[in-house]
Amino acid sequence: MSIIRRHFLQGAASLAALGAFGGAQAQGTTTLTVPWMAWPENQVRPLMDVYEKATGVKIAEERLPIDELFKALEVRLTARNALPDVYLVDGPLTASYAIRGHLLDLAPVVGSELGRYVPTTLVQGTWRDKLYSLPLGTSSQLMFYNKKLFAEAGIPLPSADPAKRLTWDELLEIAKKLTKPAISQFGFTFESVNPYQLLPLPQSRGVKVIGDDGFTAAGYVDSPGMIDVMTWYQQMYQVHKIGPVGTFQTGVTQEMFGANKLAMFIGGTWNLVGFAKFKDLDYAVAPHPYFAGGKPITPTGSWHIGINPRTSQMAQAQAFVKWFTTRDTMDLWFNLRQYPPSLKQIWEERAKTTFVDPAWAIVQHELANTATPRPATPGYREYESFLKIAMQDIQTGANVKEALVRAASSIDREMRKYR
Amino acid sequence: MVSSRWVPYLFLAPAILGLLVFRLTPIGIAIGGSLTGTSLMGDVRFVGLENFEVLATDPDFWRSLRVTLIFNLIINPLQVVVAFTLAMLVFEPGRGIGLFRTMLVLPMAVSTGLSAVLFGLFLDANLGPLNGFLHWSGIGAQPFHRSEHQALGTLIGIATWKGAGYWMLFLLAGLYAIPSTVHEAAAIDGATALQRFRFVTLPLMRKPLAFVLVADTAINFLFFAPVYILTTGGPNRSTSVLMFEAYRSAFTFTDFGRSLAISTVLLAIILIIVFLQFRLLRSPEDRA
Repeated sequence: MSIIRRHFLQGAASLAALGAFGGAQAQGTTTLTVPWMAWPENQVRPLMDVYEKATGVKIAEERLPIDELFKALEVRLTARNALPDVYLVDGPLTASYAIRGHLLDLAPVVGSELGRYVPTTLVQGTWRDKLYSLPLGTSSQLMFYNKKLFAEAGIPLPSADPAKRLTWDELLEIAKKLTKPAISQFGFTFESVNPYQLLPLPQSRGVKVIGDDGFTAAGYVDSPGMIDVMTWYQQMYQVHKIGPVGTFQTGVTQEMFGANKLAMFIGGTWNLVGFAKFKDLDYAVAPHPYFAGGKPITPTGSWHIGINPRTSQMAQAQAFVKWFTTRDTMDLWFNLRQYPPSLKQIWEERAKTTFVDPAWAIVQHELANTATPRPATPGYREYESFLKIAMQDIQTGANVKEALVRAASSIDREMRKYR
Repeated sequence: MVSSRWVPYLFLAPAILGLLVFRLTPIGIAIGGSLTGTSLMGDVRFVGLENFEVLATDPDFWRSLRVTLIFNLIINPLQVVVAFTLAMLVFEPGRGIGLFRTMLVLPMAVSTGLSAVLFGLFLDANLGPLNGFLHWSGIGAQPFHRSEHQALGTLIGIATWKGAGYWMLFLLAGLYAIPSTVHEAAAIDGATALQRFRFVTLPLMRKPLAFVLVADTAINFLFFAPVYILTTGGPNRSTSVLMFEAYRSAFTFTDFGRSLAISTVLLAIILIIVFLQFRLLRSPEDRA
């Protein structure tokens, strides 16, 4: 044999041996592939570690940023393979996945546990009366404000009593006084610019944001009421200039608040954990504002977990999801991200400890009285994508009516496939 | 014993196989796929030209087409001119010319995606250094990619920053290929620098220029990464190029029929334009 050929065969043989060895290793442990949100690793790994140690099943979570997560899920689910096994489901997208056969009916898996859940948290996971995704919690929004900036300007602090929440007009006036362009200080902004964050604005004025069939946007997304409210929203940034324009990257608005450059900030309860890292920040919380003459409305709904019906590891996938109904798991999850719990037990156990905080008193009130889930429609992906772009365009100064009319017609075009 | 007649084809076979697998097959799949529709449960069915009919009545598609054509109408000549100018500038030997050449080519080393992220920070309205400088110098901060009037221009700027050095290399090689004797002969005959440029350099640069223009056009029609990363087609659809529409149809809305229809239209446009470019840039000898 020539030297080259001999070496080639030797190399190939060793590679094959390695491969076989590796294969044998993999056959020993089951691994569940679980696409997940790109939350900080120390808020995700501890959870998975507990399951791995308890059962010996390996959890291969892939932490992806939100837009990438949705796209990756679409690509993989459309391929209709055995992967992923279990995945993180955005609450309002449950119907969209279910109607296309991407989620397993969870009644046989967790049906017996549902009585332990806060009923409203199960709503978004339900499609045509079947539970397709299990809530990991819900969400609520608070108004965080900077006590130091308020004191410097001599403005009285907003009340934490939901009965005395600020109206949007009052907030606007306060924000104007706290906006100082010379030192890059802004009076107010929302944490993000998307339907989850901003639909409460039109809803507070009683504006309907989608047709009753769940598929029609024309006449709702571009209704005069919607145009009115979104114009008011645009003026906050373009006319009154109380907030930073065009800041859409996650985390930047949080950084601004933490750096004492933002007086008021409406964001999720996860910031109660996230703001701890800002040592110079002295903040307090107040309830989400509302339109005078309208109803207070707050965003709600959060992440769920669901099973791919085509998984090749059905028993392990079901066991993993069932594990999320246990008190210990949900308690650990609460410690990591502080989403308002979906298990009644967690609320009860912590009633006298964690939840005596004024922030949680507000949250409990909101969840019971003002929390409004996003539109329930299988076409939520389409609805949210176009409306989000329209909202971002509006914030940066586009013609409000044109942006909304265009969003409505694009949404209706994509909704054809569901009618 | 293999007949010697087949040997050339055997040598060509790997390249042709590659062309078939990586170029022609995807094109076939795209054109074939544009004639299909997919049901909610994943069943694929033949729908003929329905996807194209829907595109024809879709204002989003026409908007994309317009934006793509305007973008290419500006950026292709611009990049070629800039690359050529840079090539002329660094052609003459001089002290430190190697340093300049390296600096001009350096943006090539940064991936398109990364350069988009970096420019996103660089041009940020509140935190970006460029706006800080503009503010300080009195010109005033600019919204750049957050303004529907400046966004396309900003993307053109970023693409040119990245690509000019790359194309400059090809044109520099072309300049070096012109024999110095021809320039000397022209100079002896009394030609000015401008006349030498017009009558010696340009005609002899016809082939490199044709290559750069055609390759650049094809690449720019497929422009995608900065749109996806920086502007997501906005603000107000002002940067929604066809490639981005196709991507969004496929990966956000899983409407593969529509996405492939847009890709097919894009392919047809590129083929037509490249064909026209080749015809226009034929040298007089070839035309005979």
